[in-house]
Amino acid sequence: MKRAKNLYSYYMVFPALLIYSIFFVVPAIAAFYYSFTDWRLDRIDLKFVGWANFEKIFSDKTLILALKNTAIFAIVTVIGKNLIGLLLAVALNMRLKTKNLLRAIFYSPSILSILVISILFTPMLRTEGTINSLLEAVGLHSLSQAWLTNPSIVIWTIAIVSIWQSAGFQMAIYLAGLQSISQEYYEAAKIDGASSWKSFFKITLPLLLPAININLMLTLIGGLKVFSEVYVMTGGGPGNASQVVGTIILRSFGEGNWGLGTAVNTLLFVVVTIIAIPLLIFMRRKEVTE
Amino acid sequence: MKTHKRKKAASIVLASLLSISLTACGSGGTDSGTSASSDNKNAKVTLELAISKSSQDSAFIQQDVLDEFEKQTNITVNLQLIPAEQTTTVLQTKLAVDETPDIIQYNLASAITDLNLERNFEILDNEPWASRIVNKDVLSSGGHLYSFHVSQDTGMQGVVYNKQIFEELGLSIPTNYEQFLAICEKIKASGITPVFMPYKDAWAANIWPAAAFADFTAKNDPTFFDDLNSNKRKWSDIPEFKTFLEQQYEVYTKGYTNTDVLSDSYDMAVGKFLNKEVAMMFMGDWLIEGVAEQDPSMELGVFPIPSSENASLGASPLGGQLFIPKKSKHLEEAKKFLDFIASKEIAQKIVDSKGYVSNLNDVTTPELPAYKQDIVDHYITPKKTVLTTDAYMLVDRSELYRLLQDQFAGGMTPEEVLKSWDEKFSQLMQDKGISGF
Repeated sequence: MKRAKNLYSYYMVFPALLIYSIFFVVPAIAAFYYSFTDWRLDRIDLKFVGWANFEKIFSDKTLILALKNTAIFAIVTVIGKNLIGLLLAVALNMRLKTKNLLRAIFYSPSILSILVISILFTPMLRTEGTINSLLEAVGLHSLSQAWLTNPSIVIWTIAIVSIWQSAGFQMAIYLAGLQSISQEYYEAAKIDGASSWKSFFKITLPLLLPAININLMLTLIGGLKVFSEVYVMTGGGPGNASQVVGTIILRSFGEGNWGLGTAVNTLLFVVVTIIAIPLLIFMRRKEVTE
Repeated sequence: MKTHKRKKAASIVLASLLSISLTACGSGGTDSGTSASSDNKNAKVTLELAISKSSQDSAFIQQDVLDEFEKQTNITVNLQLIPAEQTTTVLQTKLAVDETPDIIQYNLASAITDLNLERNFEILDNEPWASRIVNKDVLSSGGHLYSFHVSQDTGMQGVVYNKQIFEELGLSIPTNYEQFLAICEKIKASGITPVFMPYKDAWAANIWPAAAFADFTAKNDPTFFDDLNSNKRKWSDIPEFKTFLEQQYEVYTKGYTNTDVLSDSYDMAVGKFLNKEVAMMFMGDWLIEGVAEQDPSMELGVFPIPSSENASLGASPLGGQLFIPKKSKHLEEAKKFLDFIASKEIAQKIVDSKGYVSNLNDVTTPELPAYKQDIVDHYITPKKTVLTTDAYMLVDRSELYRLLQDQFAGGMTPEEVLKSWDEKFSQLMQDKGISGF
């Protein structure tokens, strides 16, 4: 009888599973297949070409540059968003009068769409834009830059804008994590004479690991999948200087190279999986329960 | 118990499969219904005309024109307005799965690269109106008429300039590069930015080379583009191309432009001209239309890109022409629609209302805006125009635009630009399956 009851629950799942399969699993598998074909908009006859698309990816200078830029962007944003988010969270977890207001202020950029933020930042980052004017007003002439048009710094600029937008969101998750830590631990540590640094590293950090875990995952996957901010601020330019994997996929589709576009997408999927899953397993092991 | 449950599960699956197949049958039934009715001569035919939403002011789809057509022929035209940013994708998909509209409005040069012109569209050489076309080039590809328009004015590309500033400073139109630099110097001395370069939009950097390359090859090397497209020669084989790219860059390095060329975008151009901040820009005459809309008192004109002595004005192969897909379900009726538009009366009406330069020999061109009249008198009538390189390229051109942008970002020399474009070009041609690559 118990077995039958179990089966019954499967009937309930079936419709959802069917819809999920039709709209997600099947296209995903199809995309995997198409990445091994020469699928093009102007040819209907598909040919299976094996690894040709992937070979093309690794022989294309622009694609290599895009992979490099994506890696830079992901690493910079993961570090930046989490470090700043954690600092803000720890600071705003203290007994400050203005903490609610400050929390709202720091969180607010992440409410806006990254598209809006990118559009707002684009004119500010011009050579004659607000940011350079501000720098000059405070006497930092040497720091003023062609933020979005200097090929060697453009990807960093975009990463900083992305950090600015999202650090408040990471802060919110860290705050939630911090508030779930019982004050008793800190009181006990205080009695034992631990410094606040020590209690941060011995109590806060370990108990915050679930939150750190989530944040690392979110920022890493988000960083590897970066598209909107690059697309709006530079469109991958100047030239190809800020191309990332996301914009390369768009470019391949635009060139009518659907097979190649899907191959880049598949590659991105594989890279994200290879990085994310071991990291997730590793971090899970480190987690402690209260 | 177990088998009972299994049966139940199986029946659910069966039922859902059945319902799916039934719906499929249902839609199949209606399909065959419509095709049957189109064979019936008494039934009313409805033509599907697909057009980008951004072209909704197009002369071809004015309601009174469509009404008149329906009155005369008992054929209705059903418009499919496609969102602008998806036009290409939607049409590509429709053509790929044979769900084609009966008539498509698109632009010729992009149709060649985006929509596989030769495979997908009817050749219109033998249509009744074809013999009356004055300028066949603007509607043709590979020696055949593929598209239709009542206007031959598809957008002219060159140096758009402010006539008033030229007059005040006593300047005349330059006929070579040295003269052009001298003019820039004088304008700069008067405190106005000589040239506006909005190269955040990479395509804008292509206006100069697209006209300069085409003008050079038309005069000195007429077989170049045929050789190029059969992989006998390469972009980097023509040393003058390098010079033309250097020239455009020099205009920037000599300080004759806005300082932030890679941050400024095309949408700022109209404002710059209205404020008289700039005197010139390498652009199409659509910019003049845009400025005139804001301030009709502005007097702008256009002259050829001064890359070499007495260059011709670049004629953009862009513009919105009508095409008939080969797989159109109502081929005859679609052609009737073109006949109707081309009829003397209707074409005259369209040409008059839009201020077009007529492309039919029995339809007279109305009084044109001054700049357009200028173009007609000085370039179109004496045949001093040249189709820009866009007309000859069979592949997506955006990588070339990016490379040009790279030149201005300091990342590439003109030589490297042409070399890299050679590589990308041959890869794109190869992907496209063009023989010789």
